[in-house]
Amino acid sequence: MATVNSRRVGDGGGAGGTFQPYLDSLRQELQQRDPTLLSVVLAVAVVLLTLVFWKFIWSRKRSQRAVLLVGLCDSGKTLLFVRLLTGHYRDTQTSITDSSAVYRVNNNRGNSLTLIDLPGHESLRLQFLERFKCSARAFVFVVDSASFQREVKDVAEFLYQVLIDSMGLKNTPSFLIACNKQDIAMAKSAKLIQQQLEKELNTLRVTRSAAPSTLDSSSTVPAHLGKKGKEFEFSQLPLKVEFLECSAKGGRGDAGSADIQNLEKWLAKIA
Amino acid sequence: MLDFFTIFSKGGLVLWCFQGVSDSCTGPVNALIRSVLLQERGGNNSFTHEALTLKYKLDNQFELVFVVGFQKILSLTYVDKLIDDVHRLFRDKYRTEIQQQSALSLLNGTFDFQNDFLRLLREAEESSKIRAPTTMKKFEDSEKAKKPVRSMIETRGEKPKEKAKSSKKKGAKKEGSDGPVATSKAAPAEKSSLPVGPENGELSKEELIRRKREEFIQKHGRGMDKSSKSMKSDVPKEKGKKAPRVWELGGCANKEVLDYSTPTTNGTPEAAVSEDINLIRGTGPGGQLQDLDCSSSDDEGAAPNSAKPSATKSTLGGMFGMLKGLVGSKSLSREDMESVLDKMRDHLIAKNVAADIAVQLCESVANKLEGKVMGTFSTVTSTVKQALQESLVQILQPQRRVDMLRDIMDAQRRQRPYVVTFCGVNGVGKSTNLAKISFWLLENGFSVLIAACDTFRAGAVEQLRTHTRRLSALHPPEKHGGRTMVQLFEKGYGKDAAGIAMEAIAFARNQGFDVVLVDTAGRMQDNAPLMTALAKLITVNTPDLVLFVGEALVGNEAVDQLVKFNRALADHSMAQTPRLIDGIVLTKFDTIDDKVGAAISMTYITSKPIVFVGTGQTYCDLRSLNAKAVVAALMKA
Repeated sequence: MATVNSRRVGDGGGAGGTFQPYLDSLRQELQQRDPTLLSVVLAVAVVLLTLVFWKFIWSRKRSQRAVLLVGLCDSGKTLLFVRLLTGHYRDTQTSITDSSAVYRVNNNRGNSLTLIDLPGHESLRLQFLERFKCSARAFVFVVDSASFQREVKDVAEFLYQVLIDSMGLKNTPSFLIACNKQDIAMAKSAKLIQQQLEKELNTLRVTRSAAPSTLDSSSTVPAHLGKKGKEFEFSQLPLKVEFLECSAKGGRGDAGSADIQNLEKWLAKIA
Repeated sequence: MLDFFTIFSKGGLVLWCFQGVSDSCTGPVNALIRSVLLQERGGNNSFTHEALTLKYKLDNQFELVFVVGFQKILSLTYVDKLIDDVHRLFRDKYRTEIQQQSALSLLNGTFDFQNDFLRLLREAEESSKIRAPTTMKKFEDSEKAKKPVRSMIETRGEKPKEKAKSSKKKGAKKEGSDGPVATSKAAPAEKSSLPVGPENGELSKEELIRRKREEFIQKHGRGMDKSSKSMKSDVPKEKGKKAPRVWELGGCANKEVLDYSTPTTNGTPEAAVSEDINLIRGTGPGGQLQDLDCSSSDDEGAAPNSAKPSATKSTLGGMFGMLKGLVGSKSLSREDMESVLDKMRDHLIAKNVAADIAVQLCESVANKLEGKVMGTFSTVTSTVKQALQESLVQILQPQRRVDMLRDIMDAQRRQRPYVVTFCGVNGVGKSTNLAKISFWLLENGFSVLIAACDTFRAGAVEQLRTHTRRLSALHPPEKHGGRTMVQLFEKGYGKDAAGIAMEAIAFARNQGFDVVLVDTAGRMQDNAPLMTALAKLITVNTPDLVLFVGEALVGNEAVDQLVKFNRALADHSMAQTPRLIDGIVLTKFDTIDDKVGAAISMTYITSKPIVFVGTGQTYCDLRSLNAKAVVAALMKA
């Protein structure tokens, strides 16, 4: 036994010189048929691997179940959030942080989605979008249909930003533009909003790419929306964009129910 | 008296609302959120909006906001305390609902807080009412009634408050007759310890004063005492004849007294000196003095002893505190954040942020973080740094759209030129950056008219003429279908700038130019006539964009410049909503390495976005702001 060992030592002397003592102890243990150290090490390694796998799988499962409610300030995101979750009406103020809750979709499979309501204020919206966009499965862009005509440029700018961000994600999320506040008489229809947004985005992609480059000169050319040379249309985008009308406040004000069946159906579809 | 009281979550859900008047409270509260909380001006907790004063309190642990509103003309003193009480009660009562992460518990919970709130309001109002005037004490309650009558008998010619020295003799004579009185008159010269106290065992104020006086006299040596005593004893003897007055300090022509040749070491002075030394050393002659010294020495002995164990305790506590801070959830308090915030404030100031803005920012961050529960493995420093970084990015985000090309296209459609005015102090780079911006516009196919409204500085018009020639060479009319793309409109020197601007805009409209860039003379913000002239130019011509050009090298001056420029524009404007500065051009950005604090100062003061950043002196050195890069440079150690 001893001679065999010494010969082995001689053979493996060149390479792996530093690990030699460990290898020796390992061999001794194996030969002694009492591998306590080895078994302990193996057990710890197995446990760690299991933990890593479990976490990986679990986070994957959870990561892509979020539906983000985005939009300009005062477009009705928080009220829509409340209506989807409880069906009641609540007073709301300007949101400063996000709110999230698990929403049970009413289809026969009974899946659940995480609804996340992001603040719409100009100074916060991009920060929160950055934070949550990786876990987004779908975007719901809420538009105030009544004051759309006045705000079309701001809506288009934010929509442009959200589209660029979502196209940069590795799994293309579903996209819905919800034309909210249809209960007001002056509200524009979804068709009209779509046409206006297409026209506006057409101009916007030219001006945004012509803007002076940003400070840190990270010369990343901003992605171009749609096809060059042709008028912009939502159908040209790699992700599916749908439009629908809804009203978070509902026809009968605070007491009545909201007119959000279309939205619920869409959520059930993508779940 | 309150107009309203709202409790809502930071996510936007109103949990409970009390409305004293019929107007809805959403408007003012939204204004509060937008102007204060989102612009990081959360240092002090009150805000005025039209006719209302709003006071608010943030609960950072459970992400709630408490807002109370009342009329501005009232000055209610109980409001702060009321908010604190309501906060505490609400938090304790609904702890389970508000503790959840998900918003569902907030939505499903019913917050029936009306009765509690009304009770707290009533208590607060009552406590603030003027207290009833104190009723006079009855005679039985006063101290005088407790004294025996005999102690208060005063006989003629003898006042209980006489000086001890003179009354000693009289007291000695009358000792038999007034027992209690004599006890209060002890002579300090007798070296006896003072009496324990008058018989009734109570020290009245007068006796206290007298005792103190005696101690004082004792301490300052007997010599003076003796002389005064002898003097006083002289006075009654000589009362019969009018003796010439002897002034103490008047000096005397006595030969013996003036003879200083005698050796100083004679009896009296030495004794006095030794006594003084004794007194200084603290082992006084009289028992009274001893007591005092003992107690004081005891105190001194006790104090270092107590300091030592507290020192050891604090080091132990510090170690545990550090460990506790590293693991586990503890909520942040102001003391924890104090040192970190001070360091961050100094760091910001070192990075060229204006001093009072750095102070306000740190206040606001402290307000936002107070009471927040930190996650595991996050230190106080990292939490504060994270929050500060978020606030800085928030400040730098533009509050309105920053897309000049889009607006120019709009103006094009409406067949009128888009007018941009550049203003700023001397030497910041207005003319250079104007040339850069016109180059950028030319590259994008817009025709530009440059209006030389700087009629004061030598060579200003020539400078612009040179720029126009060069730009024209880069974009000749042949390349753009025969249309002159860039032209200079000037009327020489010494003319009125507002008039030239008006003519330039009319000319542009006639000739079909897309953009008019108006260059004004640099002026100091304190120079009133020049500021008036600038305000007149802007009011008369109503440009589409008023750009303030500021250099990135400026430090605390930025605050002063912007405030005064805005004020001048507001004062001299006739309109309902005066035209103020719409955007900022930050120049000479390449000269600062990472001391980028001027960007923060300027956007914080005006809440207007930084539209362009100038990074050099050639035509291509025009950039737009990247908030994240600037904040990263700012927070870099």
